[in-house]
Amino acid sequence: MTVNSQVLDYIASEESFLDKSVIIKEGSMDDWVYVILEGRVKIKKQTSRGLLTIDTLSKGDFVGEMAMLKQGSTTRTASVVADGPVVLGLLDSVRLTKEWEAQPTRIKKLISNLIQNLEEATKKAADMIVASR
Amino acid sequence: MTKAKGKIPPVVKLNYSKGDLIIKEGDYGISIYEVISGKVGIFIESGGTEKRVAILGPGMIIGEMAFIAGSTSTRSASARALEDCYLEACHPAMLLDAYKKMPDILRLIAGQALKLIVRMNKMVVGLSLKQEQLQDSQTQELSDQWEEKRKFYRKMVSPECVFRPVNSPKDLKIRGRIRDIGKGGLQMTVKTSGLLNYTLIPGDELFISTYLLLDQKVNMTAKIIWMKKGETDGFISLGIAFTHMESEDRKRLGFFLMA
Repeated sequence: MTVNSQVLDYIASEESFLDKSVIIKEGSMDDWVYVILEGRVKIKKQTSRGLLTIDTLSKGDFVGEMAMLKQGSTTRTASVVADGPVVLGLLDSVRLTKEWEAQPTRIKKLISNLIQNLEEATKKAADMIVASR
Repeated sequence: MTKAKGKIPPVVKLNYSKGDLIIKEGDYGISIYEVISGKVGIFIESGGTEKRVAILGPGMIIGEMAFIAGSTSTRSASARALEDCYLEACHPAMLLDAYKKMPDILRLIAGQALKLIVRMNKMVVGLSLKQEQLQDSQTQELSDQWEEKRKFYRKMVSPECVFRPVNSPKDLKIRGRIRDIGKGGLQMTVKTSGLLNYTLIPGDELFISTYLLLDQKVNMTAKIIWMKKGETDGFISLGIAFTHMESEDRKRLGFFLMA
């Protein structure tokens, strides 16, 4: 997958991470949004059986968008860890937040809802992985 | 897109009763619903059964995935009322204009969320199928052991018994008829209509009491191993393994089996 040129326009800075670096920590309270420029990251969740990998994201995928688009809390719901060397584009959060806030209520609700569903689905998947071990 | 307000259908208020299908997986549907009251379950069909992947309550939206994926896609899951529900349905034309005007980046983010939800749901369905197979084989093993034990000796009888699931109210009495009994378990038939509102499944624990001889009451705790339709319509057969019996009860059963 390539990175959309519209998205490239939002990149404020580039950050490189070494293999296994923790990019986002579950439970922390920030709302940076990144796009993957090079490499892959693992999405991990803390469970009763320890830290489990739920998904892998690659070039062109967004990372950390959930905290920004969710209504209310900005607590990170999962950890993001570099799977090999990774280059991320940190998105201009002021611009992104402004554009997001300018959306009609119905659209915001639609997308927040989608993000909430993703959060639930991820939680459920993590539970199922734990139960199947 | 020009605004054609007159052509956009208005918001429709809808009532659903428990169990009603709101959205059917695979259908071409475009409406977007908001849950106003009640609970809605999201199900994905797999291996001939519906697997529940989510429960949504008031304030949540359903049917938005087909909208975000584009008008040519089918419903990715079914939605069913888990209790009596009140929903508002709107035509996506109301949102389409605003959605198209959105910055590309937000649309891309929404698209990714959609892709990941589908991926997570697939994983949940896949794992739950695997788990069921595992459980089935465990139940199978248990019932094999039980058959093994019961081959030893079983007495064909037909005393009545009363039973109730262990977590049900104390005064509940469901009637059954014991067909045969051994040291390890028994087989009984139950009138389906006598089950009231209780649904039994293999693995459920029951308290059972019966009179094996005139005044010899025997109480036991037991587990349902298998269930099948009875030979007579309206009856089910239960295969049951004892999990606990007081020593007095065990003695009475022993005497009864020897007699």
